This record gives sequence, structure tokens and C-alpha cells, in this order.
Amino acid sequence: MYAYDTYDHAMVNARVAEFRDQVERRVKGELTEDEFKPLRLMNGLYLQLHAYMLRVAIPYGTLSANQMRTLAHIARKYDKGYSHFTTRQNVQFNWPKLSETPDILQELADVEMHAIQTSGNCIRNVTTDQFAGATADEVADPRPYAELIRQWSTFHPEFSFLPRKFKIAITGAKQDRAAVKWHDIGLVVKENAAGDIGFEVLAGGGMGRTPLIAKPMRDFLPVEDLLSYLEAMLRVYNEQGRRDNKYKARIKILVDAMGIEEYTRQVEAEWEKIRHIPIDVPAAEVARIKSFFAPPPLAVLADEVPDVDDLAQKNFIFKSWLANNTGSHKVPGYVNVTISLKPHGGIPGDASDEQMDLVADLADSYSQSEIRVSHEQNLILPHVARRDLPALWSKLDAAGLGSPNAGLLTDIIACPGLDYCALANTRSIPIAQSITERFDDLKRLMDIGPLKIKISGCINSCGHHHAGHIGILGVDRKGTENYQLLLGGSGAEDASKAEILGPGLDEHGIVDAIEKVVAVYLGEREDGEEFLSAYRRLGADIFKEAVYGTH
Amino acid sequence: MAKKITGPQLIIANRLDDGRAVFLTIAGDWSPEVANAAVAHCEDELQHLLAVAQASEIANHVVSVTAVAADLSGETPSPAHIKFAMQARGPSVRTDLGYQVSPNWEQ
Ligand code: SF4
Repeated sequence: MYAYDTYDHAMVNARVAEFRDQVERRVKGELTEDEFKPLRLMNGLYLQLHAYMLRVAIPYGTLSANQMRTLAHIARKYDKGYSHFTTRQNVQFNWPKLSETPDILQELADVEMHAIQTSGNCIRNVTTDQFAGATADEVADPRPYAELIRQWSTFHPEFSFLPRKFKIAITGAKQDRAAVKWHDIGLVVKENAAGDIGFEVLAGGGMGRTPLIAKPMRDFLPVEDLLSYLEAMLRVYNEQGRRDNKYKARIKILVDAMGIEEYTRQVEAEWEKIRHIPIDVPAAEVARIKSFFAPPPLAVLADEVPDVDDLAQKNFIFKSWLANNTGSHKVPGYVNVTISLKPHGGIPGDASDEQMDLVADLADSYSQSEIRVSHEQNLILPHVARRDLPALWSKLDAAGLGSPNAGLLTDIIACPGLDYCALANTRSIPIAQSITERFDDLKRLMDIGPLKIKISGCINSCGHHHAGHIGILGVDRKGTENYQLLLGGSGAEDASKAEILGPGLDEHGIVDAIEKVVAVYLGEREDGEEFLSAYRRLGADIFKEAVYGTH
Repeated sequence: MAKKITGPQLIIANRLDDGRAVFLTIAGDWSPEVANAAVAHCEDELQHLLAVAQASEIANHVVSVTAVAADLSGETPSPAHIKFAMQARGPSVRTDLGYQVSPNWEQ
């Protein structure tokens, strides 16, 4: 993974020292809250319902074992012994004290992490496929390009005060696990006929109150043009994006209003003006960055491992875990492993300090000291030998990390909602917990198959409800919690927007409604047909009838 | 401009150092327990409480001073809206670690 150079270290340390001074001045009363608030937000420190919340960037979801240990240490020393992995592959601490935040940031800086640009109207952490560099279906590892974008966008002077926040996602795989079409800019790594690497470029996607799927701009942008082209895209948005209404300020509104053709025309015109000034980095620098992401030295092993097959024969839970939580790797004899942070009745994305320490140790033992965070709020060990799976699973299982439910109905995305978030209408976590308690039979879950439920506590959509096969949106109904049910969304390469099924329901009604929707699917599905395909074939009416009994 | 009072109100804020939700008391200090909250029944009382709260905000003890509707139907007053009620109660999850362990929880 990428290692800081002296410039990176100096920059991040200087930022910690600056924030320490700002916090001291705030505590002494030399800065008012109005003066201080933008400064703390620039350092990822929010004020939530019950406490401050520190959001720490995990660049493109890649963590080393040592970095994970530091996160565990921070959770233990400065927080309440747990942390929350988010849908943007970041991590949040729910209970830091203001006066201790500079110490936390220093501990992070010491392991090459920070909270810069995790808030505000700037370019946020670039997200990517959680299996990047460790999946068989990949054209190329997208992380070197994500790192290029990270370096370009960090403290970019022109793009620090955009009309609104800006999110870029990049994937290098055929299967889109990074939801690129739901981002302000989506990039798909491609190889052209000549064998050169480049990007399909999409723009104008986003969730929130106006959900829109990104539209294609360019089929193939050569690597050497990446940064100058992004610069042109951001410039046109920065100049023309609306600043009068924050709900209309995202690039999706601009692209929708002017049309993707006109936006592309203006970007191309801008690009012609700037493409020859040195924004793009020389090939040697791209090669240097790529070298940090060189494939780990894995000796090819046999794919067939009798021990693994034997255990799978004997143990249905292990067999399910093998089927759901492991994926094909580039190197024979290896898999990527998803550690589910969705135990039955648990809080999606939460991990205790002991669990984080354990994952760090297991990464050292079994996965080249590498860990990933997925936008689906799970952790990944990217490079695990198949022969190590029985030992790994038993250690995970003993620590409550062995849930065999990756990609199944109980692998729910849920935002923090009204349990923590100051913007929320409703709670999200207890709904996820109730659903997992209702669907607690593994055989039944396996029978239902792949089904993504995504829950947001308000229209800001941090829980990606628009992209859920089943989406749940919390709304405020005269000061009480109410939930809308949406069906048919997808965050994958076949991206689609979930549609509201009918009137909102209370916290019990929404869980009952999920049962009814699943029952319709089980009754109507064709052989091997997954939930989303069945919904697309059947249409909404039959589900509506089951939930609301309109006839 | 003075806000017209439509019903009984409480004053809620967050402590500056740890962000803990707190309620203004009759004594003019802040309590994490909503049972201790002062209730304004008329515009004059509300303005008085707000003046005390805002002075405390200027003195950097608290931030985000807000007047919220009170529900007086229970034994003790509580915020009527779910959002502020959640601030009074603490998260409904991880109750092994939250306010529920000790209402006067200090980190
Ligand atoms: S979707 Fe709303 S409630 Fe959930 S974390 Fe985002 S802002 Fe908070």
C-alpha cells in the first residue's frame, strides 16, 4: 500500500499542530463556535446528538494491520471501545472529547492516517472496490489511480470550496462493487484493443433527495489524461454548480439541467485549454505509485484443499461462509475473505477494539498484513490461502466475526440514524437489528439468496436506500419515526433507482412488510431467479398488494 | 425576533468539551438529566431561560442552544420531538455503554 513521503508526513503533522492550536483557542474562548465550527469540520470533527464524532479517512478502503491496531487503540483509549465503519469506507468514532481530538489526530498521523476532507464542500475520500488487487474479475487494480486522485485532490486550492461535497468512485472490475454510477464522478478501469489502460468516465450520479444515476461521458480516457480531465470536470462544475440552494448544488443537478452532452462539451472545451499545462503526472511517477500496490508475493497453491471440503461437508455454517464470504482471487489457491460486521442483532459496521485487534492479527497471519473496508460496512482480508480458511474461520467465529451472511438479506447497510446523527429523522440501527432477528434461520437466508437491504435515517441517504434491492427511508411524521419502503434499487453495474412502494410504516410495520415482500418473492420466483431480477420481472403491484392489501 | 411560544418549552444544548446533551435547570446551570430541566410556560419565562442559556454559550460552556417543545404528560418533563427525546435518553443501542449506565456519565 501507499507509504507517505516526507512531504506527506510534514503536511499531516503540520495540520495536527494547527488543529491543536485551534482547539486550545476554542477551549479558552478565543474562538467562538461560529469561528471554530468550519475549522473542526475541516478536520472531520462533527457535533452529533450526544457527543462529537470524528470521521477518519481510510483511503480507498485500504488499511494495514498496524493502522487497524491504531484504530483499536483509539477506540479503547479515547472512545467507548468501539468504532463504526461507514458506507464511504471510512471509520467514525462516536464519543471523542474535543480537547483530546488533537491527540487522536496525532496518533493517526503517526500511522499515516488523517481526517482531512472527510467533511465540507471538497473532494472527499475516493472509494473503490473492496477486493481491488485481490479479485479474479479485475482488468487492473484501481488503487494506484485512486491514490493519484487522492494526491491531486488533497488540499487542491481551487476545489476546497466547491458548491457542495464531491465524491469520486473507481472500480477496476467487471462487477461493480463500488457503486460508481451513484457517484458525482464514476470511473471504470478499462483496457483498449491496444492493451492500454484507461477509464470509462461517468458523471452526475448521486443519492439524496434527487437520486440520479451517472451518465457516461467518455468511453475511454487514457491514464495519462486522468487528472487534467478530472480538473476540467471539476472546473465546469465549480463555475456553474448552483450555490444558491444546497439541495440543488451537487453536480448531478447541473448535469441533469444542462444535459450530459452539453456538460461533456464544456468539459472537453475546458480540457483543451488546460491539458497541456502540467497537471498530469509523468509516467515515472505513475509507475512509482503503482509500485506501492504491486501484487503481494503469493506462491501459487492448489485450489483443491481436502480439509476445506471436508469441513464444508460436515458444517453447514462453514459451508455457507465459504459460499458467501469468500471470493475468487487472481492467484490460484487464494481467496478474498469478507468478515461480516453484521452479526444477528448486531449494529451494522460496528467493531469493538478487541475485534479490530484480532482482525489486525489475522491480517498479519493470513493476509499479507492487509485489510480492506467495504462500502457495505464489512472488513476484508484480501489475500487468504484456501488452506488457511478453516483455521481463520474458527478464530473469526469465536470472536463473533464469523457470520456467514455476506450478500444475504441480513448483510444490511444501515446508517447511524437517530441513535447518533444530528440530521436524522429516525433510527436505522434498531430496524436492521429487528430484521436480522426476524430472519435468523441460516437455511432460510441461504434459500432467499442474494438480497441487499439498505437503510437511511433521512433523505441524505448515507445508508444508500435508493440503491437497495429493498430500501428503507426514515421520515419524520409529526415528530415520530416513520419508514418508507422502496424496492428495486441496485448499486451494481445494472444500477437502478428503488421506487417507493406505498405509504410509510411504523417500526414494526416495516419489518412485517419485509417479510411480506420476501414471501412474494419466494412464491413467485423462477428457477435460480434472484430477488432483484424477480422484482424487475414482476413489477411493483404484486408486492404492493401483499404489503398494503389494496384490493 | 422573539419566537411565539406555542406550548411549554425546555432548553437543550451540548456541552462544549464532550458534546453531551444537557438541559438548562431552574438554577441556571446545565444538567444531563432531563428531569432537572426548567420548563418555560410563557414567552417571558422562555426569554429569561434563553438569555441565561445564551450567556452560558457566550461563556463557552455549551454550544447549540435550542428551545424545544416539552411533553409534560409523564412524571418528569421530556422533549416532545423524537430527536430531542433521543438526546435526553441517549442512543437506544449499545445501552451497555451509553447514558443508561449512568445518567451523569463522564468519559
Ligand atoms: S442518512 Fe441521514 S440519518 Fe443517516 S447518517 Fe446520513 S444524515 Fe444521518
